[in-house]
Amino acid sequence: MSTNESAENIQEQIVALLPRLRRFARNLVRAPQDADDMVQIAVERALLRLDQWRSDARLDSWLFKILRNAWIDEVRSRGRRAKIFMPEEAGEHIGEASMEREIDRLSVEAALGRLPQDQRLAVSLVLVEGLAYKDAADVLDVPIGTLTSRLARGREALQEMLRLPEGDLS
Amino acid sequence: MTVSDETLMAYADGEVDAATRAIIEAAMRDDPEVARRIARHRALRKAMRGAFSAVIDEPVPQRLIDAARGAPVSDVADLAGARDAAVRKAPRRGLSGWQPAAMAASLLVGVALGYLGWHGSSSNTLVNTGPSGVLVAGAGLAEALSSQLSADRSPGLVATTGLSFRAKSGDYCRTFSLTGTNASSGLACREGSSWKIRVLAQSPQTTANSAAFRPAASADSPVVRAAVEESIDGEPLDRAGEIAARREKWAATPSH
Repeated sequence: MSTNESAENIQEQIVALLPRLRRFARNLVRAPQDADDMVQIAVERALLRLDQWRSDARLDSWLFKILRNAWIDEVRSRGRRAKIFMPEEAGEHIGEASMEREIDRLSVEAALGRLPQDQRLAVSLVLVEGLAYKDAADVLDVPIGTLTSRLARGREALQEMLRLPEGDLS
Repeated sequence: MTVSDETLMAYADGEVDAATRAIIEAAMRDDPEVARRIARHRALRKAMRGAFSAVIDEPVPQRLIDAARGAPVSDVADLAGARDAAVRKAPRRGLSGWQPAAMAASLLVGVALGYLGWHGSSSNTLVNTGPSGVLVAGAGLAEALSSQLSADRSPGLVATTGLSFRAKSGDYCRTFSLTGTNASSGLACREGSSWKIRVLAQSPQTTANSAAFRPAASADSPVVRAAVEESIDGEPLDRAGEIAARREKWAATPSH
């Protein structure tokens, strides 16, 4: 009984993390539908590998890592899939967010999208998802020094592109 | 004193130890340039965080919630309930033992029953339940899997085959799509003299929500795609490979 309950409990925790998984996926793949497909694949894989999750590890980092690995598989097999599956619809889906918010989101999204992939993922995990450096390094399978240098370079490039107003100095 | 930008960045991210923090805070008081650089890091952090909040507020698609809960519960009919009961009666081996397998089984049975439900008893030409509940291709689907090449899109076929590949087990597997009003896609592997169905899923375009969203839907489902990725050994077969495998009646070849 308790085993069953804990499995259900983990499933509900995964449900609660879905919004964040979707957000991270959109930094991997641009089209929202494709990003959601990646989330679905990752969640299905996670459920099949629950026995590999150490309960002392953060569930969010573990899921981000599965998602990132699923995406790498996807990129690798893109040529293979092109043989089997019909071409995907391209195009932006504009959500229901207010106009102002949409403009704001797109500009930061566009800036992030212009970063090299390594920097984009480092920025996404630390600045958007709020992961600690060591957790982000673990998701990306790199030493922490590599993570911080990617993050620093990504930040510098974003500062250049976004030209944010100086924060308040207090 | 000079503080590296990486250190200031780590400070803004709350990643420095107490001693470093004290040094940086002293430098901030003494040097407006240091304070300005930290403010810049904080402003970027805030902008990144705020800019992506729209995704967080969107409703999560039901298919993802279903996936996280391990089964499309609404599709599961009586047999699945019976199967779950059997799983509950089985000896407990802890979470790592039976739970993922049981969830996978209920997912497969769930979609399969959903499928059989649409087709009723006439479905046995396409999908049959073999001994111990394993799904096998019925005569019509088996014929398609054994004889058709993936490029074959002639009208009137009961099923089209997508990708053929050799699985890590050495068995040949093929993805397929069933045509007709209740289109499904799946993955079947040749074992012995039958095609065992590993995954069967309703095609995305037949579900109400995604129909509007992606009219030119791909013929697969993420479940099928994930199953291919999990089991494929190397690259899929090309046309010549399919012809050769067909000549050998898709008999398993030893792994190298």
